[in-house]
Amino acid sequence: MDYVFLIPMLPLLSFLIILFTRPIYKKAGIVGTLFTGAAFLCSLIVLFSHFAEGNYIVEANWFSLDTVIITVGLEVNPLNALMLVIVTLVSFLVHIYSMGYMANDERYATFFSYLGLFTFSMTGLVLSPNLLQLYMFWELVGVCSFLLVGFYFYKPEAKAAAKKAFIMTRIGDIGLLVAIFLLFWQTGSFELDVIFEAAQAGDIAPSLITLIAILIFVGAVGKSGQFPLHTWLPDAMEGPTPVSALIHAATMVAAGVYLVAVTYPLFSVSEVAMTTVAVTGGFTAIFAATIALVQTDIKRILAYSTVSQLGYMMLALGAAGYTAGVFHLTTHAFFKALLFLAAGSVIHAVHEQNIFKMGGLSKKLPITATLFLIASLSISGFPLLAGFFSKDEILATTYGDGRYVLFAIGLITAFLTAFYMFRLYFLVFSGNSSTEARESPSVMLIPMMVLGALAIVGGYIQTNWFGTFLGDWLETTPYSITFVHHEAPFWLPILASVLSIGGIALAWMMYVRKTTSIKESNERTGLHELLYRKYYVDELYQVVFVKGSRVIAYFWMYVDRFIIEGGAAVITGAVKRFGQAGVKLQSGQVQTYGTVAFSGLVLVLLLIAVLGGYF
Amino acid sequence: MNDSFLLTILILSPLLGIVLLSIMPGDHRFINYMGVLGTVLPLGLTLIVFSLFDRSLSGVQFKEYHQWFELMTSISPNEPYTVAYDLGVTGLSVLFLMLASLITFLASLTALRIKESAKGFYILFLLLEVGILGVFASENLFLFFLFFEITLVSMFLLVGKWGGFNREKAAFSFLIYNGIGSILLLIVIIVLFVEMRTTNITELTMLLKDTDSLEFLSGSTRTWLFVLLLIAFGIKLPIVPFHTWMVRVHVEAPIAVVMIHAGVLLKIGAYGLIRFGVGFFPEQLKEMAVALAILGVINLLYGAFIALVQTELRSVLAYSSISHMGIVLLGVASFNTAGLQGAVFQTISHGLIAALLFLLVGVLINRFQTTKLEELGGVASQTPLFAGFLLAAGLASLGLPGMSGFISEFLAFLGLFEAMPVIGAVGVLGLILTAVYMLRAVLAVTFGERRTLFDNNRDLTAVELVPSAILLSIIIWIGVYPQVLSNTLQLARTLGIGG
Repeated sequence: MDYVFLIPMLPLLSFLIILFTRPIYKKAGIVGTLFTGAAFLCSLIVLFSHFAEGNYIVEANWFSLDTVIITVGLEVNPLNALMLVIVTLVSFLVHIYSMGYMANDERYATFFSYLGLFTFSMTGLVLSPNLLQLYMFWELVGVCSFLLVGFYFYKPEAKAAAKKAFIMTRIGDIGLLVAIFLLFWQTGSFELDVIFEAAQAGDIAPSLITLIAILIFVGAVGKSGQFPLHTWLPDAMEGPTPVSALIHAATMVAAGVYLVAVTYPLFSVSEVAMTTVAVTGGFTAIFAATIALVQTDIKRILAYSTVSQLGYMMLALGAAGYTAGVFHLTTHAFFKALLFLAAGSVIHAVHEQNIFKMGGLSKKLPITATLFLIASLSISGFPLLAGFFSKDEILATTYGDGRYVLFAIGLITAFLTAFYMFRLYFLVFSGNSSTEARESPSVMLIPMMVLGALAIVGGYIQTNWFGTFLGDWLETTPYSITFVHHEAPFWLPILASVLSIGGIALAWMMYVRKTTSIKESNERTGLHELLYRKYYVDELYQVVFVKGSRVIAYFWMYVDRFIIEGGAAVITGAVKRFGQAGVKLQSGQVQTYGTVAFSGLVLVLLLIAVLGGYF
Repeated sequence: MNDSFLLTILILSPLLGIVLLSIMPGDHRFINYMGVLGTVLPLGLTLIVFSLFDRSLSGVQFKEYHQWFELMTSISPNEPYTVAYDLGVTGLSVLFLMLASLITFLASLTALRIKESAKGFYILFLLLEVGILGVFASENLFLFFLFFEITLVSMFLLVGKWGGFNREKAAFSFLIYNGIGSILLLIVIIVLFVEMRTTNITELTMLLKDTDSLEFLSGSTRTWLFVLLLIAFGIKLPIVPFHTWMVRVHVEAPIAVVMIHAGVLLKIGAYGLIRFGVGFFPEQLKEMAVALAILGVINLLYGAFIALVQTELRSVLAYSSISHMGIVLLGVASFNTAGLQGAVFQTISHGLIAALLFLLVGVLINRFQTTKLEELGGVASQTPLFAGFLLAAGLASLGLPGMSGFISEFLAFLGLFEAMPVIGAVGVLGLILTAVYMLRAVLAVTFGERRTLFDNNRDLTAVELVPSAILLSIIIWIGVYPQVLSNTLQLARTLGIGG
C-alpha cells in the first residue's frame, strides 16, 4: 500500500499542471480527468489491498515543538478507504461530465484546476491520521468550495454565496480548532490513536470530553450544513452544477459526517454528545425537508434535500448507528450526485432553474429523465433501491436505540422526502412541453449512467438478507468503536415502503392528476410562506449577526476616530504649540535674543549660587 | 572576539548604493535601477549570513566587538563604563535580517514607479535599510538605539516628502509617537547600563535571569522597566490605543515605504518585545501575562471590528495589521514554547503577507487610481493574475492552512489555550472576524460586476509579478514546511526558555 500517497498527489499534480501550463487550455479537461481517473484506480487498489492486508499507516515528522514531534501521515482503515473510493469516483465522474457541461466556459481550465485542488484536499483530509493535518485539509476543502461557489465571480449572488459559504463554515471550524487545542493539552498529541486511547482510559474528565466532542460537532455542523449553520449550503448552489454534485452533495458536505465518524470513540464516551448529534441531525432532517417542499429552484430543492439527508446521517451516528451513518453517506453520494448531474443536464438543456417553468421534459430528455427517476426513487426509499436499505438501517438503529421521537421524525422525513422529490420530478418531466431542449452529449450522460447503476445496486453492500458486508468490514477499524446492531422489526421496511410510495402517490395526485383539493397556488400565505422563506433564518441572521457586528464595528470606529484620535491630537497639538512658541523666539530681533540670553544667564547664575552653597 | 567582519559589511553595504546614487545626476534615466541595485548587495550578504549561520550551535554568532568609548563617572572613577561596537546574530535576528533585506529589495522594485526626485528617495530608502539591518544585527542596546533612530529619521523624511495628500500630518504623527517610544526605550537602556554596567544584550539576558542579580535591580524596578519597554515597543507594534500614527502612515506613505513599514519596521516592536521583554524580564512578563493577553485580545478584536467597516483598502489592511499583531501579543503572553514560537512566526509571516498585500495595493493604485472599495469591483475579469494574487494574499492573511499565517496563528493560540483557555476562547472569535473583513475587502475589489470604466488595464507586469510570486512562494513554503523557520529560530536556545 506504499503508493497510497499517489491518491492525493495525482490530483495535486493535475492542479499544478493546469495552473502553470496555460497553453494546454482546451486539454485541461482531459488532463484533469486522466489524473483523477488514475487516483480512482489507486483508491480501488487500496480498497482491495485493505481487504487483504488490513489497516495501514505511515507517518513522517513535519514539525517539532519542544519535545513534541508533530507528524504528517497517511492512514488507511475501512472508513477512509471507503471515503477514498467515493471521493475519487465521484470526482472522476464529475470531471468527465464537466468536459461537456463546462465546454463553452471562458475559464474552462481554471475550473478543472480547482477541481484538482479540491480532490487533492479532500483525499488528503480523508487520509489524515491526526487532527492537525485533518484540520488543514478541512480548511483547504472549504477554500476550494469557496472558489468554486464563486466561480461565476461576476455575479453578485455568486460573490455573496461564496463569502457566506466560507464564513459560515469557518464559524464551525473554530469549534473544531478549539477542540483540537483542548485535546492537545489533555493528551499531548494530535494523533487520533493517542487521543482515543487517552479518552477511553479515562484520562480526560468526562465533562471535558463532552465539551470537546460537542466542539468537534460544531465543526461538523458547519461543514455539513446542519442547523443552525445550514444557510450557506442552499446559497452555494450559485456554483456550477457539477460542483454542486461533487462538493455540495457527495463529498465535502459529507465531511462533517465523516468527522463525527472519525472521532466516534470520543463521542461514544459521552451520552450528552451523542444525544446532541442525534437531536441536531433529526431536527435538521425534518426542518430542511419541510423547506424543500415548497422551493421552486431545482437546485435549491436538491440542496435542502442534501441538508436533510445529512441530518439523517447525523441522526444515525448520534443513535449509535456508526454503520448506518456511513452506509447512508455512501448511497447518498451516489444518488445525490446523480440528481445534481441530472439537474445539470436539464439546466444545460433548457437554461432555466425554476421547476414551474419546466414540464414535459421526459420526452425531450429521455435518458436524463430515466436517470433522474432512478435517483429520485432511490432517495425516496423505494423498495430494493440503494436508498431504501440505508434509510431502513438508520430507522432501525434509531428505533433500536430507544429514541422514539427521533424515529418518528425520521419516518415523517422519509415521507416528506418522497413527496418533494416527486413534486420536483413530476413538475419537470411529466406533462407536455413547449420548450426546445436537446439531450445532453454522451460525455455527460455516461457518468450519470454509472451513478444510476450505483444508485440501484449500491444498497446491497449492507442488507439483512444477503449479508452485512459493510458493517462487518467497518468493524475492522483500528480504533475501538462499539458496533451495535439492531435487528429491524419486521414491520419497519413495510412501513417505510408505504410512506415512500405514499409520498410519491401524493405528489402524483397533486401535480399529475391534479385531483386533490390541495393545490400549490402562486399566492403564498401562512405556513406556505413561512416554508418558502425558509423559516426566516437568513433574515434573522442578517439582523442579529450581520447588522449586530456592524453596529459594534461602527461603535469602535467612532471610539477610534473621536476618543483615541482626539487624545492623540491633544498630544500632537501640545508638542506643536511648544514648538511654535520656540519658533516665535526666533524672530530675528536682536532685542528678543538679548532678553532670552540675559534671562538665561541670570537663571544659570542663580542656580550656581543656590546649588553651590554660596548662600 | 571577532568571528568576521561580515555583519559590519552587511550593515554598511547599502552605503555603497548611497554613494553611487549621490554621484549620479538626479535626472539620470537609470537612477531608479541604481537604487534597486543598491538593495541587491545587502540581500546577497544576508543570504550569505543566513546560509553560514550554524543552526546546530547555540548563542550568538558572527560576533564583532570593538571598544567604542569609555565614560568616566564620579561614582566609580576606577571602573569606567564601556560602550562597545558590538554586533552579532542569534537565530531570531537572522530571520529578521532575512525578512528585512528581502522585503527591502522587493519594495525597491515597487519604487521604480517613483518619478519625482527618485534620487533623494532611494538615498533615504537605503539609509533606512542601514538602520533596519543595524537594529537586527546589534548585540548592544546603545547600538540598537542608534540604528533605531536612523530608521526614524529616514522614515520621517520618506513619508513627509513622498507620501499622499496628508503626508506631512502622517510624518509628524509618526515622529511624535515614535519619539516618545524612543525616549522610554532610552530610559530603560540608561537604567540598565547604570545598574548592570553593560549594554550587551546577551550578557544582560544572562545577568538578569540570574536571580542573584536582584541586588542590582529590585523587583519593582524591573516591573517599571518592563512596563516602559512594553510601551516603547507597544507603540511600534502597535498596541491599541497607540496605533493611530500607524494607520496614518499605512494610508499616506508611498507604497514601497508602506511595504517596509508594515513588513519590517513594525516588526521591530515584536522583535524588541520578544528579545528584550521576554529575554530581560521573564518574571515580570509572567506576572503580567494575563494583562498582556487581554491587551492582545483587544488588539485582535478591535482591529478586526474596525477593519470590517472601512471603506478604503489601505485602511482595512492597516487595521488588519493591528489585529494580527494582537496575535503576537497573545503568543508572548502565553509564555510557552508554542506561544512564543507562534509569536515569532506570526511576526515573520505577517511581514511577508503585509508586504505582498501592499505590493498589490500599489498595483491597484497604479492601474485604477483608487483604493476605495465602492469604486472598485470585478477587476478579476480584466486582470485575472492580479486578482488571483490578491485573493491568495487575502487567504494567507486570514490564516489558510498551507500558508504561513495558519501555522503562526495556530501555534500562538495553541500556546494561549494552555495558559489561558478562557481568553483564548474569546480570542478565536477574531479568527472568524478576520475571514469576514478580509473576504469583504478582497472580494469587493476582485469579484462582482465588471466595471467598464477600468477597461484595457494591464495585468501584472514582470516587475510586479516576480516580487509577488517570490513572496507568495515563501508564504506557502513556510506554511507547508514550517520547520524551515524553527530550525533557524531555535527559540528555546535563543531565549533560554522552554524545555
